[in-house]
Amino acid sequence: MVIVEIIDRPIDPFPSDDGRLEQGSELIFNGRVRSKENGQEIKELEYEQYEGMAESELKRIAIETANIYPISDLFCKHRVGTVAVGETSLHVVIWSKHRNEGLEAITFFISELKKRVPIWKWAILKDGTKIPSECRYH
Amino acid sequence: MIKVKLKCFSQVKYALGTGEVILEIEIGATTAELEEMVRDRADGRLDGVGLSVAINQQYVKGDVVLHDGDEVVLIPPVQGG
Repeated sequence: MVIVEIIDRPIDPFPSDDGRLEQGSELIFNGRVRSKENGQEIKELEYEQYEGMAESELKRIAIETANIYPISDLFCKHRVGTVAVGETSLHVVIWSKHRNEGLEAITFFISELKKRVPIWKWAILKDGTKIPSECRYH
Repeated sequence: MIKVKLKCFSQVKYALGTGEVILEIEIGATTAELEEMVRDRADGRLDGVGLSVAINQQYVKGDVVLHDGDEVVLIPPVQGG
């Protein structure tokens, strides 16, 4: 199963589940906002999305990932709007029978997300100045 | 002439100074011609910025003919995550 959400509020993580007896691997990734952008202290990032396409593209990538790798479930929440330093902007959970397929799947999923999902960010400095984020996919 | 809606994000929004603009273009005009028009309007502010294209919320590849009422986005490098 694949679940993706783009939300404009703090991320409520997907619940863990001790009742999954066939999946030996539960991978949880939380991408968090760092305190420095291009060497400058920031207080938050402001995420902008192309509404509609951002979520549909995220879902397309999740489905592709689940088709390529033998995983059971992929859940993802991506935040937009203002996200303070230290807070989670991206939350991904992948369940699989073994860890290797899960690790490969999560690497693929996040890499594709960073290349394709139409979301952009600005860094807000401590004095309120807004500067383009230099963070890009490499 | 036809009308297309250009939605602008990130560097494109900054370069054009708007989040959305309706453009009148020739019948049969293509995405490449629209991109050229936008880069001209940006007056150098999009130099060196690679742009992908989405029509009606889907990426398209190559030079595609636009139709009346299309929603077009010239997508600068994305930064999700």
